[in-house]
Amino acid sequence: MKTKSDFKGEIINIENIAKDTCKMDILSSMEKASAGQFISIFCPNTTLRRPFSIANFENNTITILFKLKGEGTNYLKNLKKGDNINFLAPLGNGFAIENKKSLLVGAGIGIAPMIFLKNTLNKKNIENLLITGFKSNNEIIEGSDRTVVGGSVLDYLDEIIKNEKIEMIYSCGPLPVLKGITGLSKKYNISSQIAMEKVMACSIGVCRGCIIKLIKNNEVINASVCKDGPVFKGSEVIWD
Amino acid sequence: MGLENIKTTLKNNQRTFEIKSPIIGASGTYGYNDEFEDFINLNYFGAISTKGITLEKRAGNEGDRIFEVQNGMINRIGLENVGIESFIKEKLPILNSKNIDFILNIAGNTIEDYEKLAKIANDNKIKAIEVNVSCPNVKSGCLEFGLNPDNLFQLIKKIRKNYNGFLIVKLSPNTSDIKTIAKAAQDSGADCISAINTLRGLGIEIEFDGKKFNKKSVKGGLSGPCIKPVALYMIEEIRSSTNLPIIAMGGILKLSDLFEFISAGADAFQIGTANFIKPSICTDLAVELSDFIEKNHFKNFEELKKKIKETK
Repeated sequence: MKTKSDFKGEIINIENIAKDTCKMDILSSMEKASAGQFISIFCPNTTLRRPFSIANFENNTITILFKLKGEGTNYLKNLKKGDNINFLAPLGNGFAIENKKSLLVGAGIGIAPMIFLKNTLNKKNIENLLITGFKSNNEIIEGSDRTVVGGSVLDYLDEIIKNEKIEMIYSCGPLPVLKGITGLSKKYNISSQIAMEKVMACSIGVCRGCIIKLIKNNEVINASVCKDGPVFKGSEVIWD
Repeated sequence: MGLENIKTTLKNNQRTFEIKSPIIGASGTYGYNDEFEDFINLNYFGAISTKGITLEKRAGNEGDRIFEVQNGMINRIGLENVGIESFIKEKLPILNSKNIDFILNIAGNTIEDYEKLAKIANDNKIKAIEVNVSCPNVKSGCLEFGLNPDNLFQLIKKIRKNYNGFLIVKLSPNTSDIKTIAKAAQDSGADCISAINTLRGLGIEIEFDGKKFNKKSVKGGLSGPCIKPVALYMIEEIRSSTNLPIIAMGGILKLSDLFEFISAGADAFQIGTANFIKPSICTDLAVELSDFIEKNHFKNFEELKKKIKETK
């Protein structure tokens, strides 16, 4: 059986977990996934599929988290337990896990792949700490070791990196947070891996719609978020 | 295994392009063909048209490249591609090893660019090329040839001299007179016309965050189901001014769309945006078309086409 495919999955759980935020568990025949990879769901009411980070994968069950944003997520929100969905998965490259004391930084819905990563690190007995920032109390998604409400999660990281002797940072969230993470990793000379987001058309690497610039071996190259990413080394990303 | 009853031959005088099915993956939506294999069975594919290839490698446009609209999307990729040299060296062997027909889509800034690309295609025995004179997303060349019948005539004549294979010209809908342009393509030696490329479009997203407005906009080529009526109109116009075979595209999603395009004058089809919605669409449509022909006792696709075209 092919590892990547066009899957049909059954929704076995869907619930509201915070303000405008849902959690969905999908049962399918997908056999493998790693933290940082995503699935691309067909939504009948939109032209393009919608990509979602995998927030956990266990017993053939994919968990995704989504924030209500537009027509795609509105379609998903109204689905019920027992409904079927079509999706392409598992897409992209996940985090390259290293046996190093790790700091995981989520911002808002960017917590999704961080939860999966934390579960993976825990299973491998790799020491880690997940800190996540949310705009307000009613938007908090459970699962972090530390939660920051209001302000920027970046403001708390210097202290943690120094006190906890962090050797690796993983992050997912809005661009300013990811940019801040790469700045910190440079400052403390530790590696970082960041999961990027960009509007996608094909989600499998053919259309070149979701391109970012990387610097590799002193050369500027195009990389697609969907196939070459969504996880990139922080030190390689060129910020506009 | 192929589907016998939908085998298609596109023909102009002595030149032919024989394909397993009339359904072709449109340029820019199939990459170089190695990416889709995880998701679909390529055996029923008529062919794929490659990403637009230029003489030199191109990095494409900076900034946002995709904007979704109601029933469609706007792209401004800007012809990002590996360049002809890398294509021949790295991608061509992959394509040749796969038992799938392909069309080399070429684009250039000048007549000389196209002449060189045509010569390289000829030297490498590439069976069919699609001359892109209709990309709305690059600053110079390309579309300048597609919007002016005299320029197009000169260009295709030069390409014809360098290329003996099946020469397809991909036309733009961004013109007030596609009939004259199609005629110019025919008179200058093209074997086939494909149409339509994307329409010029502008997507604007402007949102109020409680304090100020934030704006995002993407100007580029509009594609998807929303352009189908324009495409049908253009195909009928092209059919009225030329007897070359026509490969139609523009918002095709389902079997009835194929019938509509045949009725307007099409002989084969390309599927673009729909590949992003459903990667198996080309295969699915080929199977559906074949089943329809069998179930309704038509001899083959040719006969089905004839019956549809006879229906006034």
